[in-house]
Amino acid sequence: MKKALSVLVAIILTLCLCGAASAEGQTYLVGICQLVQHVALDAATQGFRDALTEKLGDAVTFDEQNASGDSNTCSTIMNNFVSENVSLIMANATPALQAGVAATGDIPVLGTSVTDYATALDISDWSGATGINVSGTSDLAPLDQQAAMLHELFPDATKVGLLYCSAEPNSKYQVDVIKGYLEDMGLTCTEYTFADSNDVASVAQNACDGSEVIYIPTDNTAASCTEAIRNVLEPAKVPAVVGEEGICKGCGVATLSISYYDLGYATGEMAYEVLVNGADVSTMQIRFAPNVTKEYNAELCSLLGVTIPEGYTAIE
Amino acid sequence: MNLAVLLNALPGAVAQGLIWGIMSIGVYITYKVLDLADLTVDGSMATGGAVCVMLILNGWNLWLALLCAIVAGMLAGLLTGLFHTAMGIPAILSGILTQLSLYSLNLAIMDFKANQGINVTKYQLIVSQRNVRDVSLSNPIVITLVILALLIGILYWFFGTETGCSLRATGANEAMSRAQGINTKKTKILGLMISNGIVALSSAMLAHYQGFVDVNMGRGAIVIGLAAVIISEVIFGKLFRNFALKLLAVAIGAVLYFIVIQIVLWLGLNTNLLKLLSALIVAVFLAIPFWKANFSAKHPHKGGRTHA
Repeated sequence: MKKALSVLVAIILTLCLCGAASAEGQTYLVGICQLVQHVALDAATQGFRDALTEKLGDAVTFDEQNASGDSNTCSTIMNNFVSENVSLIMANATPALQAGVAATGDIPVLGTSVTDYATALDISDWSGATGINVSGTSDLAPLDQQAAMLHELFPDATKVGLLYCSAEPNSKYQVDVIKGYLEDMGLTCTEYTFADSNDVASVAQNACDGSEVIYIPTDNTAASCTEAIRNVLEPAKVPAVVGEEGICKGCGVATLSISYYDLGYATGEMAYEVLVNGADVSTMQIRFAPNVTKEYNAELCSLLGVTIPEGYTAIE
Repeated sequence: MNLAVLLNALPGAVAQGLIWGIMSIGVYITYKVLDLADLTVDGSMATGGAVCVMLILNGWNLWLALLCAIVAGMLAGLLTGLFHTAMGIPAILSGILTQLSLYSLNLAIMDFKANQGINVTKYQLIVSQRNVRDVSLSNPIVITLVILALLIGILYWFFGTETGCSLRATGANEAMSRAQGINTKKTKILGLMISNGIVALSSAMLAHYQGFVDVNMGRGAIVIGLAAVIISEVIFGKLFRNFALKLLAVAIGAVLYFIVIQIVLWLGLNTNLLKLLSALIVAVFLAIPFWKANFSAKHPHKGGRTHA
């Protein structure tokens, strides 16, 4: 028994040594932690990968993990990355970012699809850079422009319903900010929150009964059940202005869209600066989406009788 | 697949497992001792963290905040107990009702923000994932083991007292306990309070460990808790008879569960299948003693004739 045990230990140690003696080149191992399977987040990850692969080619390998919506799994994934000693971590969505910060103070963490870094990381005196090993891109589309778009499309509407998932901090943040803009324009806003995709239909019905127009921010849960929302909005003939193209395709009339792919690509470019040019991630300013486009959903517009002015592109 | 990477990842898995082990001890008390299926933990697993983090962010002392988190968990248990005893709702449903209400209550505690981060560099935390590979007293494994030892000690003492024994009696045979003059309503409420207090303690530590509290962080907690309890039963059921050792076995069960998840991740398989693979591996784990028993029933040991 003792002999077998010592042989086993010897084998394990040899394997460890084999692992440690791997070739030292200019190769980079980048860990990607995505919170949940979701069109926008998938696009951001793809953009990130494309940017780094274009710039580094074979010198970069990715360890891509998906937490399947479980924020606790993010900690396990981050633990894996730290033990692999990755050169850089890309955290896709807020809980992944927070788990990354908790797991390491040395490995650079680049976030994406995070709306507000100051709230996510609890940083006061926000100056645009975090001051710790975190930087990244924010998916915050200009909310004042979105409010203006809503008013432009529906100048006669006075009651706006703000529909979002109470479990998403980014949605709450966007709703709070856009509420300010809408109320400045003289519109009355009411918040309608649902806890998860199970009660979205009943809350949406409530929202339709009490509003003339609905606004949905970049909410992950809403994005995953746009059909359910559309099935309520369409019969009630209430149009929805939404925060993101994916939601607009499903149930929205118009949106001020950012491209999550471009956002991920911008994050990839930042990663290149950190990895190859040695940029200091703690002083890198958070970047925003490079372009915003006014888009509209042609089918829903004709069904709800909404006329779209000049300057909007149709979503295919 | 680099074994060194797996070994390097093990401290993190062990630390997480120990923190969830504390929660599994809470589940053990209701599930095994009190014989009550308590689903409140999906809610109280977020309540403890929410209370602790919000108090720390408002400048409260760390240990005081932790104590308040435990009290908050006990109040959640009290709610379930009242649903069950005063309103006659079956135990499982009472747990579900409390869990539902705790969603709104947790949101309210967190100031209607679904997610609240707590920065390890700004606040003094009990444990943090940052230190999991340090060989020092600030390593979460060390701290959690100390808290676990204290907890098991307190519970061992408590279940030896008269009140503790009446709790055990209620779980063993409720009708007989009532006949012997034990107020089973009170003992059930007490058991639920203790259990959820412990779960809230675990929740606060988890929030510190991962650096944030999320209103959905308790979702699926009961599955992990029960998995840990059953794994410990399966592996250590015949080895440990002592109550204190049984509680320790529950914590070890939770550690094993998280090691399994870490291995699944390390294997590099499609991450979308993570939950399915973890469930299958745990299922196989749990089926082994069943298959062993079946196998030995069909193929009894030789020598029966000479020993008959």
